[in-house]
Amino acid sequence: MALVGRSVPRADGPAKVAGTARYVDDLTRPGALLGATLRSPVARGRLRGIRRDPAFDWAGVTVVTAEDVPVNVVALIEEDQPVLASDEVRHAYEPIALVAAEDPVRLARALRALTPEIEPLPPVLTVADALARKAQIHGPDNVFATYRISKGDAAQAIASSPVRLTGRYRTHHQEQLYIEPQGMLAFWDANGAHLVGSLQCPFYVHKGVKRTFSLDDAHVDVTQAVTGGGFGGKEEYPTLLALHALLLAKKSGRPVKMIYNRQEDVEATTKRHPCEVTIESGCDREGNLSAVSIKVLMDGGAYVTLTPVVLSRAALHAAGAYRWEHVAIEAVAVATNTPPNGAFRGFGAPQTIWAIERHMDRIARELSADPLELREKNLLRVGDTTPTGQFLKESVGVQRCVEEARKASGWDKKRASLGAAAPTRPVSALLRRSAPGSSAPRKARGIGASVFLHGAGFTGSGERRLKGRVAIDMLRGPSGKKPLFRIRTASTEIGQGTETVFRQIAAEALWVSMDRVEFATPSTSVVPDSGPTVASRTVMIVGSIVERAARDLFARTENERQKGGGSFDDAALRLLAGKEPVVSEKTYETPGDVVWDDETYRGDAYPVFAWGCDIAEVEVDLDTFETTVLGFWAVQDVGKAINPLLCKGQIEGGTLQAIGWALNERLVVEEGRILNARMANYIVPTSLDAPRFTTVLVEDPYSMGPGGGAKGIGELPMDGGAPAIAAAIEHATGIVRDDLPLLPEDLFAARRTGT
Amino acid sequence: MRIAFVLNGKKRALDAPPLARLLDLLRGPLGLTGTKEGCGEGECGSCTVLLDGVPVNACLVVAGQCDGRTVLTVEGLGTKDGLSDLQDAFVKEGGAQCGICTPGILMAAHALLTANPQPGEGEIRESIAGNVCRCTGYQRIVESIRHAAKERASRESG
Amino acid sequence: MNPAELALYPFERPATLAELCRTLSARAGRRERTVLLAGGTDWIVERGFAPPENPDDLPLVLDISRLPELRGIQLAKERAAIGAAATFLEIRSHPVLLRRVPVLTAMAREVGAVQIQARGTLGGNLATASPAADGAAALMALDADVVLASVHGERRVPLTQFFTGYRATRRAEDEVIVRVEFVLPRTGAHQAWRKVGTRAAQAISKVALAAVAEFERGRGVRAGFGMASVSPVTASLPTVRALALAPSLASVSDEELDAATRHDIAPIDDIRSTAAYRTHVASALVKAFFRELRAAAGS
Repeated sequence: MALVGRSVPRADGPAKVAGTARYVDDLTRPGALLGATLRSPVARGRLRGIRRDPAFDWAGVTVVTAEDVPVNVVALIEEDQPVLASDEVRHAYEPIALVAAEDPVRLARALRALTPEIEPLPPVLTVADALARKAQIHGPDNVFATYRISKGDAAQAIASSPVRLTGRYRTHHQEQLYIEPQGMLAFWDANGAHLVGSLQCPFYVHKGVKRTFSLDDAHVDVTQAVTGGGFGGKEEYPTLLALHALLLAKKSGRPVKMIYNRQEDVEATTKRHPCEVTIESGCDREGNLSAVSIKVLMDGGAYVTLTPVVLSRAALHAAGAYRWEHVAIEAVAVATNTPPNGAFRGFGAPQTIWAIERHMDRIARELSADPLELREKNLLRVGDTTPTGQFLKESVGVQRCVEEARKASGWDKKRASLGAAAPTRPVSALLRRSAPGSSAPRKARGIGASVFLHGAGFTGSGERRLKGRVAIDMLRGPSGKKPLFRIRTASTEIGQGTETVFRQIAAEALWVSMDRVEFATPSTSVVPDSGPTVASRTVMIVGSIVERAARDLFARTENERQKGGGSFDDAALRLLAGKEPVVSEKTYETPGDVVWDDETYRGDAYPVFAWGCDIAEVEVDLDTFETTVLGFWAVQDVGKAINPLLCKGQIEGGTLQAIGWALNERLVVEEGRILNARMANYIVPTSLDAPRFTTVLVEDPYSMGPGGGAKGIGELPMDGGAPAIAAAIEHATGIVRDDLPLLPEDLFAARRTGT
Repeated sequence: MRIAFVLNGKKRALDAPPLARLLDLLRGPLGLTGTKEGCGEGECGSCTVLLDGVPVNACLVVAGQCDGRTVLTVEGLGTKDGLSDLQDAFVKEGGAQCGICTPGILMAAHALLTANPQPGEGEIRESIAGNVCRCTGYQRIVESIRHAAKERASRESG
Repeated sequence: MNPAELALYPFERPATLAELCRTLSARAGRRERTVLLAGGTDWIVERGFAPPENPDDLPLVLDISRLPELRGIQLAKERAAIGAAATFLEIRSHPVLLRRVPVLTAMAREVGAVQIQARGTLGGNLATASPAADGAAALMALDADVVLASVHGERRVPLTQFFTGYRATRRAEDEVIVRVEFVLPRTGAHQAWRKVGTRAAQAISKVALAAVAEFERGRGVRAGFGMASVSPVTASLPTVRALALAPSLASVSDEELDAATRHDIAPIDDIRSTAAYRTHVASALVKAFFRELRAAAGS
């Protein structure tokens, strides 16, 4: 059959291209009202009340305030965030009240007829102010979390190194900008609370609803609608939105649909954490790395949300893909009165990978070494240990990634012929459509590289605690002859290809064609809790449970066939004739040798890492400092590509998000308010900004991965793009930037000040 | 106001406020939810439909301006069980991921291939530059459109 | 306001220019507000971010997008007349404009992307009077005239005098822009369009330069410039223009061009860019255009 490894067309493709796939805003229920949110205009203050315009006709309008919330907490890691602010307002756009009405015009007017009365308090808007305790806004010290990782004696080793270098590297916010804004449809009936929405993690929402409304498992149903992108943005936030919609539905006695408009979505929902990383390193003159000391400082925003986990992943990736004998990492996240930052593809790693990769280029500069050679010399290999002492026993394909990338991109030749020192050679009027008759513009080309890793699956003991489950049912087919199989999992399809890849894995293990394997709509009353759709864990972790459940069903059927004869289908039909439903439910079993200590931060941080090498070739206009990406080579070790086409699609899409983060995107925040919460001025790349990608899949299989060794790769491509671009710009122009972004204004300013 | 127009090849007439957005008419009274709203300000292109054969953002076209004209939406290209060649190419070549921008991109691409059956990569990229996709990096979309153009050419020559 | 509230606005579609002018005149006399709607790519977008209007006193929206008198592109006797309701898509696809006025077609090709080009009109681009308007910059370089109509007939305003301040023009309440007119640059004129936007497509200009220069025996006889997003209104760069007409281009130094450009613009920091960057880029684009002129003169 060989389904695994084949680029079968995506299962949800036909409905999506026909326009019949139903996203949450395409759904409604009889009598449904529309809901909206009243938000804080200020970053911090004391809520004194909510004034209702007496001149407004409130008939048929439902208003919900904190008093209507049974248990006013959003159940996440900590319960510090209220569903609706009741006393202190901690960030601009924080929800204060909810409104529902029959139609959008009434709704808009009702919302305007409510005015929050807030006594402003001095806000903490920067990490420095948070650390200085300008005001106390979280716990005793405004610190959300601190992690330390230590191996050897970094301070001593750096002090005795011949080459000691220090750098500070900053990264900025990033908005997920999924094209489908957040949305939720809620209703109540005799069975309790029901939600249908755009979301990544049905059981996160489930947990939040149970907590706020004091319901048991059986009385909450959360169903995923077709979801128009997530990238982490629909990981934790939909819980809050679901609670809002349910509150309005409860009070009004009607179904309620809430769909954010773009501005509200950009303003109110989570972003990538801004981060500052200070790195001190020691190595010898030949470029053999020895020791590194890293301090990570992250802005968590107003509430904890997922910040500690993001910070943890940032710390665990901070030393990069390199061998260091001595490592000291300290990571701290603080609270500020800005909208909470949260999950975004990469989850902390892109921030620290940016830093370590820029630092590697700093070392190369100091030593006048080829940046790729310097990296190659120090790559982690099988048999090495990571900063947490994790022994790398297999699937370290990074060396091959570097080799392939070097070859495919023509690195050696381009590194020598391009660059600030080389004569400029303008190219292609097509890429940046230049003026008719305009004289050859002054342009410079350069090439840069990054090497990176990404831990697949939950950090540390996460998977062991979670015990993700998947079920596969054997069902009677429509003709009654050929049995069907149905995968039940909470892993959601958000565009990345979950449904297709799971069906490939199951069909292969069952020795049936893919059209005999169905994928149940993730609904908490139907599917077991496989864990959230995050952390590059879907294919590798949950896919491996799918594989085990499918193999189990195959073995049971095969057993029956040997006993009773006939074909596989005959045997399956005999099983189905029994009284009990034929189902296999499996739980994830963390490999026994994966051991982690949360207290000391020692051990196997991840079951395995995926690896990559990115090479960017850019052209910088020396008059306007616009950067055009002429070519991009993304070479990534995915273990095993279950579906190469989908896998490449993930890599290209993730890489373009990284390129956008570097070259286009900049969130303008003043006084805790976002000034460019529109698609017209939060700029993401278009098809004319995007480079032509050369995507190469390296397969160094992971023995516990499904389909013969797949690793998680959802986030990996977000990690390497920005530093590769920065390195290429440096090569082209000599402009060294340690901070993101790299917009023309930033390059111009850097060129002017020489920093 | 009475609005009469040709929608997906069929004459339609309905009463609508003249400044209602075409997008809201399509998704509401006309029941065609294949056209998506991503930004409401003409930036993302998810609501792209063809007005008299030309791609427009349905969020910036009002009902009164559609009277007497022809509108084509994704539902007019093909059906789930009878996809057009272009739709089929997007499925086969990985042109759709989350799918929310896909109907709009299909409309822009359909207009391109109608006007220019054998476009180069630059022309393909320019034709969809008003359609923001956050999932794919655009490469598989470009490949899908190219694939459809190639298939058409080989059908016509063969 | 919520876009759904658009549905409350009154709307009419005048059949002829005369009818439109009568309506405008009557409403202006009664001090009633009127919105002229063409492509809607500015007005409809702005509604979404504007505070709501009093529902009992909404302006009348008049659809002028299909008025025959505002449509079409006419070329005769080395003059061009482009209807105010001509779209950027029509302009960029016009075969004669492509050949004779590439500064205009290149501009039109870089307005938004095809969806915006299909709706946005040249008249709308002038009427909304955004300093970032690409169309205004290109027409400025062409020394275009704006032709306005009302019940009193037509009048003609040079584009250099049309804008009176940030988003303000000489168009009176009872007038409509019917077309723009300009003399076609002679064959062989140097024309340049360079947009530095927020990205490669679907972008608003941070700085954009339109330039046209005609030479006779090595001597500049006509030059026009238009620059977007560097001052409250589209900049016509008069000092730079004077330098383009200098007896010898070779004697115009980069320092003079820098000084002239700086004199002619007043850029600010905003959400898209910085004053310092804009100043630098404005100068760089002007210098690049002069390099090209010198190269052509020398060859």
